[in-house]
Amino acid sequence: MNQYVTLKWNKYGVTLVLDDKIDFETLIEAVELKFKDASRFFKDAKTAICFEGRRLSDEEEQQLIQKIEEITDLEIICIIDTDKEREEFFKHVVEDTIREKEQEKDKKEETAESGQFYRGTLRSGQILESDGDVIVLGDVNPGAKVVAARNAVILGSLTGTVYAGMNGTGSAFVVAMSMNPMQIRIGDCIARSADSGKKKDSEPKIAFVEDGNIYIEPLNKEVIEDMKFLK
Amino acid sequence: MGEVIVVTSGKGGVGKTTTTANVGTGLAMLGNKVILIDTDIGLRNLDVVMGLENRIVYNLVDVVEGNCRLAQALIKDKKFPNLHLLPSAQTRDKSSVTPDQMKKLIEELKESFDYIILDCPAGIEQGFQNAIAGADRALVVTTPEVSAIRDADRIIGLLEANELRRSDLIVNRIRMDMVKRGDMMSIDDVVDILAINLIGAVPDDQNIVISTNQGEPLVGSDSLAGQAYMNIARRVTGEEVPLLDLSAGNGFWSKLAGVFKRNK
Repeated sequence: MNQYVTLKWNKYGVTLVLDDKIDFETLIEAVELKFKDASRFFKDAKTAICFEGRRLSDEEEQQLIQKIEEITDLEIICIIDTDKEREEFFKHVVEDTIREKEQEKDKKEETAESGQFYRGTLRSGQILESDGDVIVLGDVNPGAKVVAARNAVILGSLTGTVYAGMNGTGSAFVVAMSMNPMQIRIGDCIARSADSGKKKDSEPKIAFVEDGNIYIEPLNKEVIEDMKFLK
Repeated sequence: MGEVIVVTSGKGGVGKTTTTANVGTGLAMLGNKVILIDTDIGLRNLDVVMGLENRIVYNLVDVVEGNCRLAQALIKDKKFPNLHLLPSAQTRDKSSVTPDQMKKLIEELKESFDYIILDCPAGIEQGFQNAIAGADRALVVTTPEVSAIRDADRIIGLLEANELRRSDLIVNRIRMDMVKRGDMMSIDDVVDILAINLIGAVPDDQNIVISTNQGEPLVGSDSLAGQAYMNIARRVTGEEVPLLDLSAGNGFWSKLAGVFKRNK
């Protein structure tokens, strides 16, 4: 009995150790012979297959598998590669893809946390809450409320209530195109509108906390540069 | 123990909130400890009329649900330290509170206030049921219009059905010139139809609009409506006060006052 082919079995599959000195025709015959001998043990098992000892082309591999399936009832469900180079390549690709996917997921989470747009006017009785920053493309009317874990930007007239910095850092700001809030809260500081004096602010302003007080200043370069907490 | 008064009307827009604000402030001016409760959950107004909107942090629903202590939700008035407001929630609806919860809340407030005045929402649904739940007496507000009177009549019936037998009538927005021309029902006509005790009549006064917009009740001011409301407050305390002569509302002085107001 020639030993061109050796079969090594384990629970889940078979390894074919092939001689690399003989030609392919001889090899295929050897394989046929080997499996014919053993075919009554295989029945219709599902198995993985692995080739060792000889470099096979895709075509050769295919031929071998076809042969094996022909003469036995085995169902080859996968071919395990022992090529180190290829393994390295696969590993690389898989790991890279996983990392990329994770980064993408992280990014998505970050954007969910970093901001939310709201288009439209918030009217009395409506509350807009966010885990991050909020940008309102519209007005916030009296009786309406914006609650943001971080900063709030109102690209319209703010005459309602706004709570910013609710994550407790106290370093949030509120910007409004026209700043006349009913109440404004940043972190633990609360300020309310003056009871009298109806001079309406129509220039963009920014509200922030410094030394435990809420300051409302015109939105310009100097003020933004001076803001301590952004440094 | 305080007295619990509900201000109600059935119909909307007849002046419940204005009456609550002015009678409440009047009672506080007379030295009583007063709390106004806005029971119009979802459509709060009393805080705006009182000019206290910017002070609201907690509200009636927060108190009932135990999100805050009662004392935290009470807002002290700008002018009168013995006048307080318990504002309503704007983001909820009437079903957030039950009549039993209102009763319990009012029992608690009765201990420390002389007068508890409840501003009732329009309608006869749950909001109304909540408002009248703990009340001892009612002030029924109406205007001299058939629709308002029809609703007031229904309300008086419902109050009686709910064992609230002490109802007094306030006729709001009387225009004596129209009454004289026969274009408007007179106070007597209204009282005849509704057949309950009249506790006061308030003339239609443009100063009310001004005061509402400014968030300062005009009770106690020189205006006719201000005087009328003050008189109602006095009568609520049990004092005997004769009815004002409302026809003076179109007299020389008020016109003069109007001219000055406009020129300001």
